[in-house]
Amino acid sequence: MFEDIPVEVGIVHEGERIRQQQMHVEFGGPKVPNKFELVQMKAPKDVKDGKVTVVGKGLADFEARSRAPIAIIFHVAGKKMEKDLEPVLERRIHDFFNYVEGVMHLNQRYDIWIRVNKEDVKKGLTLEHLGKITIQLMKQEFKFIEKMEAFIYTDEKDIESRIKSAREIYEARDARARTLTDDEVDEFYGCILCQSFAPIHICVITPERMALCGAISWFDARASARIDPEGPNFVIEKGEVLDAGKGQYSGVDEAVDEKSGGVTKEIYLHSMFGLPHTSCGCFEAIVFYIPEIDGVGLVNREYMETCVNGLKFSQMAEQTGGGEQTEGFLGTAVEYFRSKKFLQGDGGWTKVAWMPKVIFDSIVDFIPEEFKDKIATEDVKNLKGLKSFLEEKGHPLAQAWAKPVEEEIPAEAPAPAASEIVPVTASPATLMQVPAGAPAMTLPAMTVPGGGGFKFTFKNARIYADKVIIQKAKE
Amino acid sequence: MIIAVSGKGGTGKTFVSSVLVTQLRKTFPDASILAVDADPDANLAFSLGLEMSRSIGDVREQLLAEKDKLAPSVTKREWLDGKIFEITIEGPNCDLLIMGRPEGRGCYCSVNHLLRNIIDSAKDSYDHVVIDAEAGLEHLSRTTTRDVDKLVVVTDQSLNSLKTAYSIRKMSNDLELNVGKLFVVGNKIRDGQADLFLSKAQEMGLDIDAIVPFDEYVTELDLEGRPVASLKEESPAFMAVTKLCGSIFS
Repeated sequence: MFEDIPVEVGIVHEGERIRQQQMHVEFGGPKVPNKFELVQMKAPKDVKDGKVTVVGKGLADFEARSRAPIAIIFHVAGKKMEKDLEPVLERRIHDFFNYVEGVMHLNQRYDIWIRVNKEDVKKGLTLEHLGKITIQLMKQEFKFIEKMEAFIYTDEKDIESRIKSAREIYEARDARARTLTDDEVDEFYGCILCQSFAPIHICVITPERMALCGAISWFDARASARIDPEGPNFVIEKGEVLDAGKGQYSGVDEAVDEKSGGVTKEIYLHSMFGLPHTSCGCFEAIVFYIPEIDGVGLVNREYMETCVNGLKFSQMAEQTGGGEQTEGFLGTAVEYFRSKKFLQGDGGWTKVAWMPKVIFDSIVDFIPEEFKDKIATEDVKNLKGLKSFLEEKGHPLAQAWAKPVEEEIPAEAPAPAASEIVPVTASPATLMQVPAGAPAMTLPAMTVPGGGGFKFTFKNARIYADKVIIQKAKE
Repeated sequence: MIIAVSGKGGTGKTFVSSVLVTQLRKTFPDASILAVDADPDANLAFSLGLEMSRSIGDVREQLLAEKDKLAPSVTKREWLDGKIFEITIEGPNCDLLIMGRPEGRGCYCSVNHLLRNIIDSAKDSYDHVVIDAEAGLEHLSRTTTRDVDKLVVVTDQSLNSLKTAYSIRKMSNDLELNVGKLFVVGNKIRDGQADLFLSKAQEMGLDIDAIVPFDEYVTELDLEGRPVASLKEESPAFMAVTKLCGSIFS
């Protein structure tokens, strides 16, 4: 199909690196400030199909090893063409340029970096050819393209006058991508990169739930699954919505069951109780349940101090990681705190009581306005302080525990004074490690979703036990 | 051809690597050559007479620091691809990639996975690759293509570095590296001590493929911080490594 092109075109040339010594000209790259590529949808009457217009110097006009700015703009028309497809087509410019022997294309948008080697120019390759090749390959791959036209500019003034509006288009697209929701897509992605450490763990990556390590977004996973479908990232069909609030999907459950070797059968994407998402060892942050206030705290990996519940990140990480479903501890990416579905199944921001200042500052724009002044940071160092902080600020959690929870609370057992509270973790075994001879100690109501809630009251208790195991009776 | 150079720190790996690059260029004038500085304590750029650049470690840290600011549709793989090309030093005789420090805290699984793929495909696009590796061969054990055509182990005449050489040879089997041929080089061997060195090596079951004599020219070079290219051709150490290159390249 490329008889009139003087060099080879094909996937075999992808990944070819053009070194400085071999190159004739370099467009864009880190040393050239102005460069971009853009695909725009147009009305059919405004597109001259197959036409390539080059304004400015052509390849042969440059001296060997020169550097230049560039703008590459494609106009596309078709009855089935949609605005949302612009970025999809635009991403393919990278691939199609790389198919050309002796041409290297890196990055996208306003970061593009293109090199053409000396051989190509000797053989007579031109910028018009590059435009024609791209149009042909696009039309071959995307049948909905009825008409396509290219414009290539290599004069600084032509690029400068166009780059501002291109940037606005990119920004509008980003704004759109940032608000992409789980409900709008048909496919989620799975990641099993960490299975070498946590063999039964699988991350489910959705637009509103990034991988726990914070390094793989839904867009990253989609790209990776396309490049290497047999690799660590793969498509998960959402399937049927089983619980919209907690985020349970039949397709997710099937994938989790399969990839965890049957260990994990079902998960909620947006709840830390019942069937929480598992955690590898790589999570950027931990959401930890604080039973004393029926709320949660957030802590990031870099925070070295003891958290408000008396535990350090490292201590909680041991309980959180490993790929098992642990209620009350959830490993997440910091990005998840910016998600609209953050802990949606558990009450979301109404439950958040504490986090280190560094996280607070990094997500402050995403915290609902009414909670911004009600969340404690490391200035509050223990649960006693936390309770008074929450009460003072009128946090919904404090309002909730102000109401009598259980009517049968004996009259002689007053509401626990904050000083009597010891830090507890969600592990029942540690819960029971009461120092012998301790004075009367009351643990406030601890609700376990699905369990209905229970209350322990110890008065003048002396308990000796190597281990206490509390299990939910099988029905 | 992928050549890896390993050995205890201070034995002269970087010197040997630089001579290998110089000789590869002479032997294969049209070939593309990539040098990889995979020893955080070494400075191959200096020895090759190239400007230092940022390392892959720096890029990795930058990504982890800035990842939340990337445009959502710019994938990390793509970002890393561009950055790694950007930090590749393009010298007149070879390109150079600096690996940099190993990772700090936090999770690097996914980033390292991407880096492995990128580095591997970068290697594929060169005719010859010379890796100045650390003694633990960590870099090699982490790459996905574990094929090394020639592994050159450098030892000086200390018992400790001989022991390291021995364990590198062992490791190259344990790590399931696919090593084509292994060469052991005795470097900085003092006049009249070659026999003692050889017998010590033999006791440990190490066959020595080349003896590189202690060389005042090289000491001077190191002290003045000049590149290997400025070494006089009559330098005995340079000549000895050059001679070995003949059998390594064949």
